[in-house]
Amino acid sequence: MNYIKLYFTCIKRSMISRLEYKKDTFVALFSFLFSNLCALLSIFFILQTIPALEGYSLWEVGFFYGFSMIPISLDHLFSDEFWLVAYRRVKEGDMDMYFLRPVPVMFQVFAETFQPEGFGEMILGTALIVACSFNITFSVSVGTIIMIVVASVFGAMIITSLKIIFSSFAFIFKDSGPLLQIIYNFTNYAKYPLKIYPKFLRLILIFILPFGLFISLPVDTLINGTYNPCWISLAIIGGSIAFFFLAVLIWSICIKKYESTGS
Amino acid sequence: MFKRYKPFLRASAMDLAVYRFNLIIWLLVTVLQMVCMVFLWFSVYRSSAGGINTIINGFNYKEMIVYTVFTTIFTFVTFNNETLWLIYSDIRKGTIGNYLIKPISYRGKFIAGAIGGYLIMTLMFGLPLFAISYTVFGLIGFITIPTWYDLVFHILLFLVAQFLAVLLNDTITYIFGLFCFYTSSGWGLNSLRATLTSFFSGTLLPLAFFPPVFKDIVNWMPFAGLSQNPILILLLKYDYLSCLKVLGLSIAWIIVLELLAKLIFHNGIKKVTVQGG
Repeated sequence: MNYIKLYFTCIKRSMISRLEYKKDTFVALFSFLFSNLCALLSIFFILQTIPALEGYSLWEVGFFYGFSMIPISLDHLFSDEFWLVAYRRVKEGDMDMYFLRPVPVMFQVFAETFQPEGFGEMILGTALIVACSFNITFSVSVGTIIMIVVASVFGAMIITSLKIIFSSFAFIFKDSGPLLQIIYNFTNYAKYPLKIYPKFLRLILIFILPFGLFISLPVDTLINGTYNPCWISLAIIGGSIAFFFLAVLIWSICIKKYESTGS
Repeated sequence: MFKRYKPFLRASAMDLAVYRFNLIIWLLVTVLQMVCMVFLWFSVYRSSAGGINTIINGFNYKEMIVYTVFTTIFTFVTFNNETLWLIYSDIRKGTIGNYLIKPISYRGKFIAGAIGGYLIMTLMFGLPLFAISYTVFGLIGFITIPTWYDLVFHILLFLVAQFLAVLLNDTITYIFGLFCFYTSSGWGLNSLRATLTSFFSGTLLPLAFFPPVFKDIVNWMPFAGLSQNPILILLLKYDYLSCLKVLGLSIAWIIVLELLAKLIFHNGIKKVTVQGG
């Protein structure tokens, strides 16, 4: 209970410091919308030239793109600070302050930032999903609805866990930002149906960096009824728990290697 | 004149050379992005009504793959521009005052830095990557090797276009950097700049895919010179007259934007707030 109160206190502080740069926040919001618009337009211009992409209509590909933004946005809201851990905090020795407080370091990193930009992503993703839905015939059932919710929430947990794992390498290598970037950018691959990739890449996207597991497979199931929604849900939940424990384990091993910069 | 700015050119080149390990990882990030696009393009051509050998908007699938790979290398070499962040840090730390009292132009320092960065990136990455990929694509038949004089002339024109792209990119980045005078922060501005640049320069997809009127407008904008036009010159998609036309357009834009930048600088420098310094 205390932790929840502490979390909100920290978040309030971070929001106040953000408001210091109102104009930039506004520009950032605009550029975020604009960059997504550009990405969507690009896909639209490409797909316009062909009848369907490996059997998926324009609207179905749009649905994939929109749904991918939901788990990504959930992760974005809560765990943005890990980027800074990977890129800067360890290298510049800023982590010292976390070790001096009687609260777990990982909690403090989570509480450092709440990224409202994630809401923008969520709204845009939802809008895209709704817009595309009118032009798609789904195989909707209770199972598929549960699966979509599970994929959003537990999918976000998998993204966050991967972020924790690769940012904790910063404790050893000082700067693990680019490495984290490489892993995170695989989320872009999951914005398209897995069918466009060769087999080995599909396997990577399902089992190793499982962005395909919680984005492509559920959407495929929702549109074409390809898989059993219950199994997909269970696989996502199982995967997310496994990844979370792995993340906590790796974080707690790596954090022991932290050295201050001495400045 | 040149001597005064040489240290900035050297410093920026050495800076990049020192962090080459980071650059290699960044190259990996970029390549992964590219691989995704390559698979998407293969899929698109496979799914097209006329089969994989269809020509879509003037490109067959081989040309499209080559285009994607070349723009990736090209932007990796030329878009590595620190100007906006340097201006931002000058404002944040208050060091901008130091430059205003020195007998060098604030703008000239960045141009020298951009050229230095470009030269070292070309030596470390551009030359080897272009040479290797051109040879490989030639061997597997994705590029038809033209007569030697066509090749030489187009490579020379490409090098000019690349140099202009570096200057143009630095001018655009500098203008966005100057807006930091007004917003006191750079994150939003930089992502806006990056998006504008990658979309309208044809890095995401060739401008030929844009709808008719929109395409013509975008082709006249400064961005096409940043990556699409140089690559299309290298791929012999332009005849000599069109080559000169796009190079002329880039030069015209550089002049216009430099003048605009001067105007913004003179206005903005009165507004700049150094928070704490």
